Amino acid sequence: MVKKGARKITLSIGDGANDVSMIQAAHVGIGISGMEGMQAVMASDFAIAQFRYLADLLLVHGRWSYLRICKVVIYFFYKNLTFTLTQFWFTFQTGFSGQRFYDDWFQSLYNVIFTALPVIIVGLFDKDVSSSLSKKYPELYMEGIKNVFFKWKVVAIWAFFSVYQSLIFFYFVSTTNLRKIFGLWDVSTMAFTCVVITVNLRLLMICNSITRWHYISVGGSILAWFIFIFIYSGISTPYDRQENIYFVIYVLMSTFYFYIMLLLVPAAALFCDFVYQGVQRWFFPYDYQIIQEMHRDEVDNTGRAQLLEVGNQLTPAEARSYAISQLPRELSKHTGFAFDSPGYESFFAAQLGVYAPPKAWDVARRASMRSKPKIGHKK
Amino acid sequence: MASSSAAGAGSTDPTAARRNNTKRPKYSKFTQQELPACKPILTPRAVISAFLLVSVVFVPIGVAALIASRKVVEIVYRYESKCIPPNVTDKVAYIQSSADKTCKFSLHVEKHMKSPIYVYYQLDNFYQNHRRYVKSRSDEQLRDPGEEDSTSACKPEDTANGKAIVPCGLIAWSLFNDTYSFSRDNHNLTVNKKGISWKSDREHKFGKNVFPKNFQNSSIKGGASLNESIPLSEQEDLIVWMRTAALPTFRKLYGKIEVDLNEGDSINVTLQNKYNTYSFNGRKKLVLSTTSWLGGKNDFLGIAYLTVGGLCFFLALAFTIVYFVKPRQLGDPTYLSWNRNPGGH
Repeated sequence: MVKKGARKITLSIGDGANDVSMIQAAHVGIGISGMEGMQAVMASDFAIAQFRYLADLLLVHGRWSYLRICKVVIYFFYKNLTFTLTQFWFTFQTGFSGQRFYDDWFQSLYNVIFTALPVIIVGLFDKDVSSSLSKKYPELYMEGIKNVFFKWKVVAIWAFFSVYQSLIFFYFVSTTNLRKIFGLWDVSTMAFTCVVITVNLRLLMICNSITRWHYISVGGSILAWFIFIFIYSGISTPYDRQENIYFVIYVLMSTFYFYIMLLLVPAAALFCDFVYQGVQRWFFPYDYQIIQEMHRDEVDNTGRAQLLEVGNQLTPAEARSYAISQLPRELSKHTGFAFDSPGYESFFAAQLGVYAPPKAWDVARRASMRSKPKIGHKK
Repeated sequence: MASSSAAGAGSTDPTAARRNNTKRPKYSKFTQQELPACKPILTPRAVISAFLLVSVVFVPIGVAALIASRKVVEIVYRYESKCIPPNVTDKVAYIQSSADKTCKFSLHVEKHMKSPIYVYYQLDNFYQNHRRYVKSRSDEQLRDPGEEDSTSACKPEDTANGKAIVPCGLIAWSLFNDTYSFSRDNHNLTVNKKGISWKSDREHKFGKNVFPKNFQNSSIKGGASLNESIPLSEQEDLIVWMRTAALPTFRKLYGKIEVDLNEGDSINVTLQNKYNTYSFNGRKKLVLSTTSWLGGKNDFLGIAYLTVGGLCFFLALAFTIVYFVKPRQLGDPTYLSWNRNPGGH
């Protein structure tokens, strides 16, 4: 009813066999593995061990996942748009004959080697606020519900800056070459170097938390480009039908021009993005940015050592209920079944050391569950 | 007692540490996403310092680049219309005829030019970056005399009279053939035409034992002819021409003059205006230029650096003013959206 009528994304959580259809009907189904068996877990999208982990799942990991997916998708579109538009501006100068700007290998390996790894690292590790702060400010979850990070406005702004950057790449590199005796492939190698470096540095600008893997992957990608071009320019095999790139990078790197351009072009390209980020953060901050600033001086409470000190993390009420739960107590005989349930007898019988054979109708029901997961009929 | 398996959610459960037969996965900082991380926040101080740093670095570089570019002395002379005799109406027919196409003019040196002085020819509206043109060459043929017959990419200039053309292709066929000679006060200025191409091209791309063959033998001549006794690795004009340019306006090195030119000198140029750019409204220019550490005359780099540096400085000032006029306390909870409009989102 909520799903069809109110048109909302629904989540349902359950742990027993009677919850299976509810779990399947909802958009997101969560099963709790435990005393009631594994039926709910098998039918669910996510499985957790205790009911209280639901808070973590939604507020921490669900929120981070949304943030990461938005960043990865938008960044992917941005880097390919920049790379392609730079080539697009070239078509105006070739009499629209369709001459490629970049060498074939550059184009093929761009998405595979030179820009692939950093965005994966961001998708794995990016966190806007730590997990404890995520739980402390559950209102942050509204950002996902309101789809704040992937609206059309956000995509349009990225696309606009992509166009701006591609213009910088193409026109800075080609107009400064007007008086030089570099040819087509030299110009395009220069432009491609600038694109790879800028696009990788742009990734660092959108990270909220930068681990050493970020540095390794960004540095590694740029290094991989240089290693590739050194090797590609240095060899000439019988298989090169057109030796376009032979020795290009060595000649380029022997000029001052190369280094001057390498300093200017990424700075000019990222300049607008930097201004935009500064203005956005100052005048129109997102909630998570305010929270980052509020807690900027706190030591990040990660690390295994701190997790074992339970007392530091629980509120007094939580600490009390935890302490109480440690006392020896009677186990409740409530199983959640209103009437005679198969788990009841065998479970408590096992406690007392008595063997209780499984009921025939229960065995048949479990066997039929494999092919048709429907709720067993209660007798 | 049933033991629970902690699946899915990555948060750790302190009580589970006390149980003995837990199925919890092995803890590692990588898989639990607890790697030590740097969490940069773009505070106003960071923004202003970044802009100041960029402007402090870029403005001096821009000034240096602009000074270097201003020091370069360049003489450009456009001659394709001036070198046609005045009584000629059909330029294309004239250029294709066998009339004498010598053209003489003099260039005035405004500032002292230190050697080496580079002589370039500049062509406008000539699309060396057209796809069919760029494709039309055979690098295997240029390298290796045994690969003479691999001319398939060179169509339409692949064979003439049934035999392969060496070097084949449109690029070689359209080789530029205007020639220039310079004299000052009736003394000839020698133009050094050695070493004008890339060393790597001379040594690896163009073979030392590949000789031109059957070149410009078809019905339409596209440009210069080549001396059949000189191997391709020494045909430097061809090597320079075959490095196809990126834009329709380009310069190619013709040679070097290795004496200084003094201010006020008058250089007499004798050129043979043989190359046909009239069919496509191309323009031809002769350029004499000195160089600097940055290359030829190029104001754009210096101006670009100064622009970026200047903009950064201006923005640093603007941000500082805004920071004082409209301050926002860093980490002010009143800016949280649920505090700003409580109850409604």
